[in-house]
Amino acid sequence: MDKSQKNVRAETEDFVAVQPGLFDYPVKKGEKGRLLASRCRKCGATFFPRRTVCRHCLDEDGMEGIKLSSRGVIYTSTVVHVDSPSGIKAPYAFGYVDMPADNIRVFALFSSVDRDLIKPGQGVEVVIGPIGTNQENKQVIGYTYKPVRRRISR
Amino acid sequence: MRDVYIIGVGMTVFGKHPDRTLRDLGGEASMRAIKDAGVKAKEIEAGYCGNALGSVLQGETGVGQNVFWEVGINSIPIVNVENACATGSTALHEAWISVASGLYDTVIVAGTEKVVMPKGSFLDVGAGELEVKLGEVFPGYFALLARKHMASYGTTREQLAKVSVKNHMNGTLNPYAQFQKTFTVQEVLDSPMIADPLTLYSCCPNSDGAAALIVCSRERARKARGKPIKLAASVLTTGIYDIQRDFTTWQMEKQAAEKAYTMASVGPEDIDVVEVHDAFTISEILHYEGLGLCKPGEGGRLIEDGVTELGGRIPVNPSGGLLSRGHPVGASGVAQIVEIVWQLRGEAGRRQVRSPRIGLAQIMGGNKDGDTRACTVHILSK
Repeated sequence: MDKSQKNVRAETEDFVAVQPGLFDYPVKKGEKGRLLASRCRKCGATFFPRRTVCRHCLDEDGMEGIKLSSRGVIYTSTVVHVDSPSGIKAPYAFGYVDMPADNIRVFALFSSVDRDLIKPGQGVEVVIGPIGTNQENKQVIGYTYKPVRRRISR
Repeated sequence: MRDVYIIGVGMTVFGKHPDRTLRDLGGEASMRAIKDAGVKAKEIEAGYCGNALGSVLQGETGVGQNVFWEVGINSIPIVNVENACATGSTALHEAWISVASGLYDTVIVAGTEKVVMPKGSFLDVGAGELEVKLGEVFPGYFALLARKHMASYGTTREQLAKVSVKNHMNGTLNPYAQFQKTFTVQEVLDSPMIADPLTLYSCCPNSDGAAALIVCSRERARKARGKPIKLAASVLTTGIYDIQRDFTTWQMEKQAAEKAYTMASVGPEDIDVVEVHDAFTISEILHYEGLGLCKPGEGGRLIEDGVTELGGRIPVNPSGGLLSRGHPVGASGVAQIVEIVWQLRGEAGRRQVRSPRIGLAQIMGGNKDGDTRACTVHILSK
C-alpha cells in the first residue's frame, strides 16, 4: 500500500484523473477520500458530478459544494468478464451504491470481484485511487468502493 | 391528425457485410421498399434516415443523402436521425408526424448500420460518459437489471436462457436473420460469461444491415398495390432519469406503452404479435412487463410457460429478435416494423403467426443516469 502511494507521488506527471472535478487527489494524509457533489439550496437535489446550476430550479447561484458520505450501500452489482473499451481489465465489478443520507445513488466500480462481497445491501466505502492505465501509459485515478465489514440495513 | 399507413417494406439480410457500405445496404433496403409499395421515387416527398454510429465507425455523416441518392431520390427534404438503438424507430416516428400532420402524403424511412466488431471486443460507444470511463458496458448494465429482477422476483438463469433459445429457434425460420442456429438452454448457460448472469448467447450480436419503409396517407394507401397496414400508434418518450428508481422497470416504457394503447384504442390483450428490444435476454422479460403483456415480476414465468413462442398465446420476436436476426443499431427499429408488416400481411413464411390482426413493436436506446434515453412503441393493424 505504502509503496504504490510512493510511486504515484514520485511520478506526479504520470497520472490523470478519470474526469476532472470528481474528487481531490492525492488524498491528504490522515483523511478519507470523498466524492465532490453539489446540492441545490432551493430544492435539495444532490448531483454527482458537481454542476453549477440545478437542472430543476435553474437557479444560477443556488448550488453549494458538498462532499458525499464516504460510506454507502450496494444497490445492485455485476462482475464483468471482458476488458472494458475504456481500459479496465477483466474481471472487474460495477454497479450502483446508495447513499441515503445524501439522497443519491452513484455509479460505482468495486474493488472486489467476489460475488459474496458485493451483494446488494453490502456496506461499502469509497477509495480514491488508480483504476487502470490509459493509452499514453498514464495511471488513471478514479474511485472504487470497497466492501466494509458492517452490513448496513436499508 | 390523419391516419397513416405503411405500403412498402424491405430489408437486407442482417449479418456480416464487410465489403458493403452504409449507402449500399441502405440503398438495397430502400429499393426493395419502393418496389414493394409500387411507388415511383419522384412521388416520395421526404426521407428520414436512421444511422446511429456511422460518424464514429465509418467517419460518415449525412448518411441519409447517400442512401436515398442510391434510389434516385433528390431535391426533397432529407433528415438524418440518431437516437441510439431507437434510431430507426425514431425516424419512423418523424415520418409518421409528417404524414399525420398533413404535410406530406408519401415519405420513405430507412435505417442502415455497420457495427460488426473484431471478435471479443465491445462496441466502443459513449466514451465521453463518466460511467463508460469507469467501465460500464451495455451487457454489464443489463446484468445489473437481471440481478435485481432475479432478487426481487425469483427469475432464474434458465428462464433468461429460454429467451435466447426461443429467439434463435425463430431466427432459423427467418432468411434475413444473422444466426441460423438453435441453442439449448444448457448451451446458452455454458457459453462464456460476459457480465454475470449474462453469457455470450444471452447478448445480441453487433451486425451490419439495413431496412426501409414507405409511409403514406390513407388516400395514397388506397392506390397501393398490396394490402396497406395502418400505423395506429407512434410514440416516442425520453428518460425520466430518476437514478433512485426501481431497476426492474422503466417508467418511461410504461408511459410509452400506455400512450400507444390509448392512441390505437387497444389494450395489451388485443395484441397478436410483438417485436421487442431483446438486446439481452433479460431485456425481453422486462419488456413483457413494461408493455403490460404480463404483471410486474411475471416475465420469467411467461417465457417459461411458452406463452411467447411462435405457437403461443402472444408470440414475441417471431423474426428472431435482436438476439438472432442481429442488431445493426440504426436499422433494428425499422426491421421490427418490416417484420410486423410481413406478419400482418401473412407473408412471414415459416415463422408466420396464425392470422394476426394487431402487432406492436418496441425499442429503446442508450443509457443515461441509470435510465434509458429513448423509447418508442408502434402499433400496427390490418
